[in-house]
Amino acid sequence: MQYGRAVGSAVAVVGLRREFGGRRGQPVVTALKDVNLQIPEGEIHGLLGPNGAGKTTLCKILSTVLLPTRGSVEICGYDVESETAAVRRLIGIVFGGERGLYTRLTARGNLEFWASLYGLSGTQSQRRVGQLLERLGLDQRADTRVETFSRGMKQRLHLARGLIGDPRVLILDEPTTGMDPVAAQEFRTLVTSLQTEGRTILVTTHDMAEAEAICDRVTLIDHGSVLATERPSTLGRWITRYARVRASGLLPAQVAPVTAALSGLDGVATVHEVAEGTLLVDTAADGAAPAVMRLLLDLGITDVATTRPDLAEVYLRVIGNRGMRVDR
Amino acid sequence: MVGTRLPRGTTARVVLASSRNAWADLAATFTPLTWTLGWLGRIVAQVIFYALIGSLLGSPDRMRYLYIGAAVVATAMETLLVVSTSTRERYSGTLPLLVASPSRLWPVFLGRSVQWLPSGVATATVALFAIGPAFGVRFTLSSGFAAFGVLVLVAITTYGYGLALAALVLRFMRLRNWATNLSYTVMMLICGVTVPLSFWPVWLQGAAQVFPLTHTLHVIRLLEGGTGDSLTILTSLGLAVLTSLGWYGVAAFLLERLATAGRRRGSIEFAES
Ligand SMILES: Nc1ncnc2c1ncn2[C@@H]1O[C@H](COP(=O)(O)OP(=O)(O)OP(=O)(O)O)[C@@H](O)[C@H]1O
Ligand SMILES: [Mg+2]
Repeated sequence: MQYGRAVGSAVAVVGLRREFGGRRGQPVVTALKDVNLQIPEGEIHGLLGPNGAGKTTLCKILSTVLLPTRGSVEICGYDVESETAAVRRLIGIVFGGERGLYTRLTARGNLEFWASLYGLSGTQSQRRVGQLLERLGLDQRADTRVETFSRGMKQRLHLARGLIGDPRVLILDEPTTGMDPVAAQEFRTLVTSLQTEGRTILVTTHDMAEAEAICDRVTLIDHGSVLATERPSTLGRWITRYARVRASGLLPAQVAPVTAALSGLDGVATVHEVAEGTLLVDTAADGAAPAVMRLLLDLGITDVATTRPDLAEVYLRVIGNRGMRVDR
Repeated sequence: MVGTRLPRGTTARVVLASSRNAWADLAATFTPLTWTLGWLGRIVAQVIFYALIGSLLGSPDRMRYLYIGAAVVATAMETLLVVSTSTRERYSGTLPLLVASPSRLWPVFLGRSVQWLPSGVATATVALFAIGPAFGVRFTLSSGFAAFGVLVLVAITTYGYGLALAALVLRFMRLRNWATNLSYTVMMLICGVTVPLSFWPVWLQGAAQVFPLTHTLHVIRLLEGGTGDSLTILTSLGLAVLTSLGWYGVAAFLLERLATAGRRRGSIEFAES
């Protein structure tokens, strides 16, 4: 089944800008500035960024509920602004949280409602709804009201709803927020299974581990700008490169000399005493963390641990290294 | 190439599917027992209250006038609940999903609140025909059937006005608390519910013509009094239908504008509290 025009990209975003406000003296907020993004067909693409980065704004523009201020956005070769009707038949949207379902209807009732909006007739609708309920493991509870569903079941129903129109491009905005780890893991497995059907998936998240687990490529976004698009393995490398080492149990007399020795090592970015007798060492080069650990052990400090840097921290370093200004 | 046209019959299927949502809402809010004891009882008490004001004024005619007005306006008032049911689409986060779907918005909203039509007709029916005689309201068998048909028309025609109001409130949510109340008050005052139209200056009588209720209520009064000739009645019914078609048109237009303006201004939120 081949929809769309003969183009390589399922999603093509060029020079996208979106501003809010600016009416009656309100300040102008620029949620997206000059965003470029190409997602080839069949890819699971992660959009990773801290709060307020512009992830939801981008998802809204891709899903035709928000217009760009400038720039062009195409889904399978169709322009979101001038060919909205075609785009709407190609996309499915799923967002996280409790909203977006009719809680007084049954799971089946919800799906049948949405099936009608996607132009499915009675028998087509019955067949498709039945398939989706089974596929997402909801067939046992298909005829109970959604208000009785668990968080994970609601999210699976959300996904079923997003699939009702057989979309080529699926847009997932933080689909696993608020789910327990087991349910989130199940959900990720479902998402990866969709890829085998040739669908293109854009998924936003705060969670680096989630992005690593399911994405072919990940785009980092902050303050409305794309910082980088990388394979998750590269992100993994960054995580080790920017690993943090925590050393505890230093005697007061040790703090100053140990700090000095650590600061002298190659690849050590900062050393802070975060609590009495506890040092936090941020590294910024491959192999720096092991060197820090060795030095600490040589100095007789054995209460040592490495931790993953938090995402914001990694952004800061990556951006810092690229000479971009970050307001934090 | 992607087809941009949906199959024939989609609009009707959407209205139908959306109305299932309406019935589910009604079933979740009321059981037959709670509807009868709670809802119906409340509305009937309100109708009687108005009639008692009339009896305090010492005139059986006034009492009858107020009773009929209050009973019929109850249908209109219930129908206006379309405003609050419709705005729920924003709070429940379904509005962006509706906008992003290939269908238009108006068929969804047209079906979404239909539960209030039979509910509104039923309360007024009980008030007018079962309890009305105690307040001097009398229908012959044939005028009673005709009046029932007009009650159905009250609901259907006011629904168009309510939908237009709902579309406006969905766009400007800050209006939500007073749009319905204001409409209700205006209808009570100028549509011939509590005082005859002739009480008001001519320009206000003119304004009252845009409310379908003015025409339908007039017909019910004529039927009850046994005074209407069929030409007057048919003219009034025709005006009710025409004005309401106007409101349905306005509603469809505003609902489609809601989507386009919302896309431009960024007022269609994924999650709204
Ligand atoms: N309708 C709007 N009106 C005004 N400002 C807005 C609007 N929508 C988004 N913004 C602003 O645009 C910026 C990006 O918001 P967006 O919701 O896209 O971020 P996000 O990456 O999805 O964040 P989160 O992780 O918190 O969901 C924020 O500064 C936000 O305040
Ligand atoms: Mg967001």
